[in-house]
Amino acid sequence: MRIVIGQGSCGIAAGAEKVRKALLTTDIPCEDISITGCIGMCYLEPIVDIYDDDEKLTRLVKVSENDAQKIAEFVRTGSEDAVKELFVSEEDKEFLSKQTRIALRNCGIINPEKIDAYIEAGGYQALRKALTQMTPEEVIEVIKTSGLAGRGGAGFPTWFKWNAARQAQGEEKYLICNADEGDPGAFMDRAVIESDPHNLIEGMLIGAYAIGAAHAVVYVRAEYPLAIKRLKNAIEQAKEQGIIGENIFGSGFSCDFMIKAGAGAFVCGEETALIESLEGHRGMPRLKPPFPAQSGFWRKPSNINNVETFANVAWILNNGGEAFASMGTEGSKGTKVFAVTGKIKRSGLVEIPMGKTLRDVIYGICGGVKTDKDFKAVQMGGPSGGCIPKSLIDTVIDYKALGATGAIMGSGGMVVMDESTCMVGMAKFFLDFTAKESCGKCIHCRIGTKRMLEMLDRITKGEGKEGDIELLEELCYSIKDGALCGLGQTAPNPVLTTIKYFRDEYEAHIKDKKCPAGECSDLIEYKIIPERCKGCTLCSKNCPVGAISGTVKNPHTIDTDKCIKCGKCYTVCRFGAVVKE
Amino acid sequence: MIHLTINGKAIEAPEGSTILEAARANGIDIPTLCYDKAVEIYGACGLCVVEAEGIPKLLRSCSAKVSEGMVVNTESDRVVRSRKVAMELLMSAHDGDCIAPCQLNCPARTDCQGYVGLIANGEYDAALKLIKNKIPLPASIGRVCPHPCEKACRRKNVEEPINIAQLKAFAADMDLKSDSYLPLKKAPSGKKVAIIGGGPAGLTAAYHLSVLGHEVTVYDMMEKMGGMLRYGIPQYRLPKEVLDQEINIIEKTGVKMKNNVKLGKDFTIESLRKEYDAVIVAVGAWKSSSMRTPGEELEGVYGGIDFLRSVIKGAPYDIGERVAVCGGGNTAMDACRTAVRLGAKEVYIIYRRTRNEMPADALEIEEAEEEGVIYKFLTNPLSFNGENGKLSSVTLQIMELGEPDSSGRRRPVPVEGKTEEIPVDSVILAIGQKLVTSDVSELALNDRGNIIADPDFFTTNIEGVFAIGDATNRGASIAIEAIGEADRCTKAVDAYLNGIELETRIPYISKRDESTIDYSDREKKPRFTPKVLPADVRNKSFDEVSLGFTEEEAKAEASRCLECGCREYYKCKLLNVAQRYEIHPERFKGEMPQKYSHDENAFIERNTAKCILCGLCVRSCREVMDIHAIGLMGRGFKTDISPAFSLPLDQTKCNNCGLCVSLCPTGALTEKSKLSKQVPLDEQYTEEFVEIDGKKSSVMVSRYNGKILRVIPNDEISRNANLSRDELEALLK
Amino acid sequence: MKNTIDLSLLDGVLSEYASAKGSLITILQHTQDIYGYLPKEAIELISEKTGIASSEIMGVATFYTQFRFEPVGKYLIMLCQGTACHVNSSELILETIKDELHIEDGGTTEDGLFSLKCVACLGCCSLSPVMMINEDTYGSLTPDKTKKILKELREAAV
Repeated sequence: MRIVIGQGSCGIAAGAEKVRKALLTTDIPCEDISITGCIGMCYLEPIVDIYDDDEKLTRLVKVSENDAQKIAEFVRTGSEDAVKELFVSEEDKEFLSKQTRIALRNCGIINPEKIDAYIEAGGYQALRKALTQMTPEEVIEVIKTSGLAGRGGAGFPTWFKWNAARQAQGEEKYLICNADEGDPGAFMDRAVIESDPHNLIEGMLIGAYAIGAAHAVVYVRAEYPLAIKRLKNAIEQAKEQGIIGENIFGSGFSCDFMIKAGAGAFVCGEETALIESLEGHRGMPRLKPPFPAQSGFWRKPSNINNVETFANVAWILNNGGEAFASMGTEGSKGTKVFAVTGKIKRSGLVEIPMGKTLRDVIYGICGGVKTDKDFKAVQMGGPSGGCIPKSLIDTVIDYKALGATGAIMGSGGMVVMDESTCMVGMAKFFLDFTAKESCGKCIHCRIGTKRMLEMLDRITKGEGKEGDIELLEELCYSIKDGALCGLGQTAPNPVLTTIKYFRDEYEAHIKDKKCPAGECSDLIEYKIIPERCKGCTLCSKNCPVGAISGTVKNPHTIDTDKCIKCGKCYTVCRFGAVVKE
Repeated sequence: MIHLTINGKAIEAPEGSTILEAARANGIDIPTLCYDKAVEIYGACGLCVVEAEGIPKLLRSCSAKVSEGMVVNTESDRVVRSRKVAMELLMSAHDGDCIAPCQLNCPARTDCQGYVGLIANGEYDAALKLIKNKIPLPASIGRVCPHPCEKACRRKNVEEPINIAQLKAFAADMDLKSDSYLPLKKAPSGKKVAIIGGGPAGLTAAYHLSVLGHEVTVYDMMEKMGGMLRYGIPQYRLPKEVLDQEINIIEKTGVKMKNNVKLGKDFTIESLRKEYDAVIVAVGAWKSSSMRTPGEELEGVYGGIDFLRSVIKGAPYDIGERVAVCGGGNTAMDACRTAVRLGAKEVYIIYRRTRNEMPADALEIEEAEEEGVIYKFLTNPLSFNGENGKLSSVTLQIMELGEPDSSGRRRPVPVEGKTEEIPVDSVILAIGQKLVTSDVSELALNDRGNIIADPDFFTTNIEGVFAIGDATNRGASIAIEAIGEADRCTKAVDAYLNGIELETRIPYISKRDESTIDYSDREKKPRFTPKVLPADVRNKSFDEVSLGFTEEEAKAEASRCLECGCREYYKCKLLNVAQRYEIHPERFKGEMPQKYSHDENAFIERNTAKCILCGLCVRSCREVMDIHAIGLMGRGFKTDISPAFSLPLDQTKCNNCGLCVSLCPTGALTEKSKLSKQVPLDEQYTEEFVEIDGKKSSVMVSRYNGKILRVIPNDEISRNANLSRDELEALLK
Repeated sequence: MKNTIDLSLLDGVLSEYASAKGSLITILQHTQDIYGYLPKEAIELISEKTGIASSEIMGVATFYTQFRFEPVGKYLIMLCQGTACHVNSSELILETIKDELHIEDGGTTEDGLFSLKCVACLGCCSLSPVMMINEDTYGSLTPDKTKKILKELREAAV
């Protein structure tokens, strides 16, 4: 008998640690109460897994600390009645059973704070094999066979980068892991580090061996304190076991390991900016060429991959490149992890083979839109990506196919939107993001994103004018052509895709001064439908400007001249009497 | 060696060199703003992009290396488009005035800020030379010009505009008092130009063309040169002795002047065209406009300029004791004040709107009133009445102001049935002048009865014949307008004579958004207007009313200048690139990244609102000098360059080496000149050498009008010597 | 709030990192952990000990959003600005916090209790809208829930 509580950041935020502490205060007859990382069913957190002596799993979801006694009773007596309402449903079980987990294979299963748990799960065998039985060139060959491509966004073949760094002149080389997961809406890298840090370490050490680097560096964003903590712990344990350090597994290969925390700059996900930041400078991209493979960290040959990429490496070495390549499409091999969020019923981490469709993910696994409104679009690739409309939901998950829509595979963020999301507002949201995150070095990005944001802002305020869409498009193409780094070059994508698929929405804002989604506060009016209003006065009490009048039990009215369109009445009304037009 | 093609030209370049280096070595200009050999490649500006065959992305030529067989295009459509948008974005965030509003609003684009500044510095001769680049008659124009420059002067937002026009007259008077300035002439071109009309337009064209080396002859129908300046402006405003002196100087430049010869009588355009390589028609508008009021044919009704001319010629019309002048412009003012001086007892101004709408100069309106002129506002002559063909009274329709018209002024409308009759001995119609069309029968006219002249090139329907001034297009205007046209026309004529085509595109310049300018920190200093003769003295005399500036007064008044125009105008690399293509930054108008700011030490002045973040200053301070006085602060749109903790430059390790200033492509960093008022001037820079601690060291020396304005360290030795600019200058000798 | 800065607190950090190249950001992070922000005096000391010009240090410190130059309140509210939070109306939560505390983004309440900072995605997208207060994450926020959290913290602090 053992009890495992999911304690990724999400789980903890949902109250998992409180649950654990509460369980410890009960008389629960179980010595082995431990934690695991992120199970990926974020919408069901906190999750408590109870394994009986035969390792049969009973999964309890949406547990609160108040449920501790009931759980204790269940464990003590075996009586299911006490916890029946906490059982994970059959439907929810499908969320996991329909997935194919490689990068996430240990996530939510093993204890991320114990190296033994990783080793027990077959960990570090791939490293041992590589170091003791394979040449670096053979390792690169396996990766080449696997077809593994960069999971950070660009999808560049991993073997090619490794080989370039391997071939680069110079004794001193660096292997760098980009864990600066900045795309808003993506959190798979955080999950991997929090839930299976040794998998990352193993993948990185294999990479270091392949390119001939004696130094491995992880650049983690500062917003992930738990990930940093668990990774540090894992590094210490690996050092103790001789897995990091001199002469690893007696192979003669040595590699040290270092964590550097970012300090809040999205642009540091761009590899040359990341290197600048690692060196302690402002994270401003360098000109390429020279590429990092020739001149990177401290101007030495360096290879950079992201977390999810490394998380696949050990599996590939264990199972062979062909096994990985057997999944997916012609151009995209293996699996991909998606962080599905937004207006979605089952939100969390989904790992599936390439070649499935967006529909498989959004409807098949995640259960579709959670509201009563219609599915409208899915945003992929964050600020560098785009919005894919409902009509393209059968698009295959494949670098090329997704790219053809104007969006990108990206790091795997999928933000689902329903009819209540304004697409101009969405474009503005991303431009606001990129404008804030622009490092300010090149003209196109520094000023161009700001000017796009100003234009979008005017449009959402009803101040758009004829020709704005064309001007936006012109600016978009110029920025794509002229910006220095990936951040700037892809910054126009959210605008271009929303114009491409939702041009009518832009036109409605500009010509009719209307927001079809009812989201742009300057273009909507709040009204109370008298028939529905019960006169509860809640709206008038909550109105910050006293724009609502009416007496108890009588229909209220909104003075539209006074109304500041904050939407509070709309939110608080329990009868659906407040509507926006 | 690598072999490649740039813009269709086969080129060899050493291996490892960049496309930019290869292009420049072969005389192909690729614009850059953030590149300099002194520092590491940065890649920020993106202006150096080029297109290479087979490479999908644009390449930044500052970093992309040449490769064998490469085919590069540095001016492809895609490249130009990219550069244009880059410049539009950059200029949309560059908060600065290239040129001061006074200069922009002068029809002749006279460098007002320049000469005002030079006067403030006591450099009167340099000021005069600057003025004469545009206006060969500055003493005259300074006295009579309605000064549109002052209307645009930003000092009005503090208290009142600078007295620019009278400062011009001051500088010109100073010049007339001593050895007057004669410009250096170009070598003779062998080309001959005839100019018909010796007014401000004709004389200006004559001066400029003569300086350009052409042989110029001016033909004029009157007995003396000067046109309307002589025959339309009374002596008390412009003493003819001053005009004579200025015309004399023009003559000294080699202009031949022929008076008492009239077009259509003594010669024709056709006849001149045969003799000369080019002809400029600048005959002016010499006929007073009619009001189409009944009774205009009566004896005692005179045209405004006819009346003024009669006085100037010494045979004034008999105007009697009661005079009504119709009109609200400066000619009406000249007429009524002249009538006063001729001894009229009652002089009326009949004007259909109110004082606020009068186009005449406010000072003129005021001075006329002081001299006893009676204003009849909101009246319009209904009829001139007389007996036996002689005028005896005028009946006035009373008016009121209605809705604004297209000019923005409220339209006067008659008040039904309300009239007034005043007895008068004479009426002077000063409502405008027209071309005498019979004089120019050879030329095509527009429906207004004016000569059709091309607005850019001033060409007419006859090849080689140009036309300017009051006789053309929209008709009579102010003298400075004609002078401006003359200036531009001489460029067109010079190009025509040399067989060159002139560019007509108006080059882009950066202008600040007036509404964003804050004047609260400016100390109020009232405008100074020169003293005038007392009203009871001047109303009896034709002596000049204004007594002009004393030197002290002129300096003090000129010192009020806010120095709006950028002092780096003449060497601004940013502007140079901005003018390379036709750009419209207003498309991207939005927030400015930085507020206008000011930080200066003894030698360097910083204004981050003009900064384009090329980073050359920061990089050179770090990479070349290892001083690190300034750094990039913040990020994104709001990135700023400043010392740590926003300290002033004085509190950093800055050693004033001046490297940052010399690399700054625009006016964000400027090296102060020795002048107390920092004037934007077209300085001449030369590299010279000094000896520092026994070592030969290079310095850049800037001179203007023969004087040293700046001495700037120019190599490692002089930059590290920690010598002040004065000490460096001392080493020059 | 401290009136004088005890610079000796930096001794450990500086002796460990001052001569290690590329450690500036790490030093600044430790400094902020110690003082809650980056005091000018500390920057000057770091400059002296590392030999990095203060213009460079400030250039780096102002580049990254993590660094602050003013002391913050006892509770630092970091409100997530990620996409999922946006789609799930984080704007309402922002308005609620502003209303409740009468501060703007970047501000601190007069009593020095709360500071508000809008931050990049916290990566807890499934719980959106999300905020972090000091080390703790709060998810699935509603205006009412937010008010309650603030109220509890205020009471706990008294």
